[in-house]
Amino acid sequence: MNIDITPIDCELRQDALVSWLNQPGKRLGLITSIDGSQIVTLLLDTTENTATLWESQLSEHRYSSLTPRITQAHWMERTMWDMFGLEPVNHPRLKHNLLHEPYDEKLCPLNPEGQVSAPDGHRQYHSLEVKGDGIYEIPVGPIHAGIIEPGHFHFSCLGEIIFNLEIRLGYVHRGVEKRLAEMNWQKQRFLVEAAASDSAAAYALAHAVALENIADLAVPEKAQHLRSLALEIERVAMHISDLTGLAADIGFLAISSSLGRLRGASLGMADLVSGNRFFRGFICPGGVIQDPDHRLSKLQAAAKALKKELEPVIKSFLANQVVLDRMEKTGKVSERLARDFGLVGVAGRASNQAYDARHHFAAGVYPLLKPQMAIETNGDVFCRAKIRVVELIESLSFIDMLLETMPAGPISTSIPATLPANAVGLGIVEGHRGELIHLVFTDGHGNCKRYAIKDPSINNWTALAIAARNNLVSDFPLCNKSFSLSYSGHDL
Amino acid sequence: MLRLLGYLLKNGVVTNSDYCPPLGDGVIGLPKLTSDNCVGSECSQCADICPTEAISIGDGTENANLELDLGKCIGCAMCVRVCPEETISNNTNTMTATQNRKDLVLSTADTQENKVINESRTPFARSIACRVVSTGCSACDLELSAASNSIFDMERFGIHVVASPRFADVLLVTGPVPKAMHEALKSCYEAMAEPKKVIAVGTCAISGGLHRGGYAQANGIADLLPVDVYIPGCPPHPWSIIDGIRKVMR
Repeated sequence: MNIDITPIDCELRQDALVSWLNQPGKRLGLITSIDGSQIVTLLLDTTENTATLWESQLSEHRYSSLTPRITQAHWMERTMWDMFGLEPVNHPRLKHNLLHEPYDEKLCPLNPEGQVSAPDGHRQYHSLEVKGDGIYEIPVGPIHAGIIEPGHFHFSCLGEIIFNLEIRLGYVHRGVEKRLAEMNWQKQRFLVEAAASDSAAAYALAHAVALENIADLAVPEKAQHLRSLALEIERVAMHISDLTGLAADIGFLAISSSLGRLRGASLGMADLVSGNRFFRGFICPGGVIQDPDHRLSKLQAAAKALKKELEPVIKSFLANQVVLDRMEKTGKVSERLARDFGLVGVAGRASNQAYDARHHFAAGVYPLLKPQMAIETNGDVFCRAKIRVVELIESLSFIDMLLETMPAGPISTSIPATLPANAVGLGIVEGHRGELIHLVFTDGHGNCKRYAIKDPSINNWTALAIAARNNLVSDFPLCNKSFSLSYSGHDL
Repeated sequence: MLRLLGYLLKNGVVTNSDYCPPLGDGVIGLPKLTSDNCVGSECSQCADICPTEAISIGDGTENANLELDLGKCIGCAMCVRVCPEETISNNTNTMTATQNRKDLVLSTADTQENKVINESRTPFARSIACRVVSTGCSACDLELSAASNSIFDMERFGIHVVASPRFADVLLVTGPVPKAMHEALKSCYEAMAEPKKVIAVGTCAISGGLHRGGYAQANGIADLLPVDVYIPGCPPHPWSIIDGIRKVMR
């Protein structure tokens, strides 16, 4: 995919972006900066399947915030304040997203100046205060009761009803983007996969596509098939894992333990292809690292067996009256909200957002070959569960189809040791959570100067906070599992 | 509901009856050193390709002392792929946890695989309550969850996960513990009653792994808490995790 870079004035950008988003099929991909002296805005056109990059030069460390007009921008502007020290003026809820109080007040990790002067105490975090008779607060985290990544949930409740939920993340901010820009590209893939390992295949694929985009390389057909195979097996494993979580939170243990076992079967499929349960180290720029040819017939049998095994379990799950009672009308996200926040993945498709990156952008065998898209309109927990079920079965059929049509030939092509100078590369992949974007810029010597990652969770976290409103506190775990968002992918 | 019960009965017992069986054909485990001679510093392909600088090669050619630190290794197997002499090969054994950090450092001077385990008695011989604090990419968390599914079923060994540090005997830490988690982790440890143990689950918790040395100070738990058992791997296999937890139960 060719990416045009268009210079645009920072102030004019607002109107242009609003009118862009008013057109059908046009999306906002990512807003970030390269080194703090400009803002880059990635625009996606899902009707033409193209991407455009706007570059707006900044003369100071301030700019007027887009958030009052474009809701989706709010999280990205907060992150830019953290990482570059760029202050969005008139942002309605400006708080730090990734850098907490223990960090030096002047630190801006991705700004080459290293630090930007800022008012004292700007790292202090204050949750939205809800006042009124009978309002009480439940703080949860950062350490959760189960085996889950860390994050802080601040509930303001009235009786058993959640009035407001504020989600604070950043606890697993490890400095991944800065480290990636310091490494040579040959070793980047290992860190990319470890950024959010439940999406290791999606991350590795987005990384590979972005670098191949920079190097302007075509990857052998067989590698494309194997990459899609990995991505779909990962989707199957994680969709089963999320359904397991839903069943466990409802207390339907016969289903959750059966699904837990079947997730093991899907991890076994990953082992057959890559030798690793999470596809770590399998997809690399230029192709894939090993040819699982002699194990593919075993894999085909395993995929067929898994599909057959899953069907009765899922049928029992979705036919249960208690399950329906807990999931229907719980955690609703309206279509309008989904559009305003640019929801992606399962959560978006459950609220009638017909967007699946596999249908639009080149990665693996997509969009030439692609599974059917599942759409629901009610936007509740049940819709999100149903979409997972449909995608799961569809992915298993798609895996079978990929195996049937597996081409012969090489599994990789070599990439020149030095990447082209002053180039930009883009990788967009539909992981199991939705649209994942990797945007890579090289400097005058062909070294990576900026590696930006947009995890699908970044679009969806606020929607979870809003979906939980007016629901029972005891239904929050269901809302949370039905979104299944990544902390580490968000925090990086 | 009857149909579901029938389904469950038909499946019977699915729990693996072997303890820590070797990894299957083609599955990548951690690397191990063999007695095959290392070519030495002339080669150094393994050290060059390692993404976490886990490998160092001593001077000399014949019998050069190669050291591989499993506490830094992410199991990418690139060293196994490039080694011309099979000095480094794939280890299908999952019993890789150790009680001393230095035992994770393999050396061609001593290729013995399993070190002697400290056999002193602990109060947790029959059962142990684990508190899990996750501070990383979720891979170790997923494998920990898998360790309690019906295939691995770690509860049959007396290992269960509890929801508060107050009930816990052992603290399992996953991830490199970046700066924003330092305080939370320490207060969780302080809230546990004595006697208590700490297990570093995975390479990030042991050394910071790929994240070591950055501004987020995600360097693992060694500087924050006393560690009793180290479980290497990125992520460790569920069997490695179960075996590692059992090492504080002996």
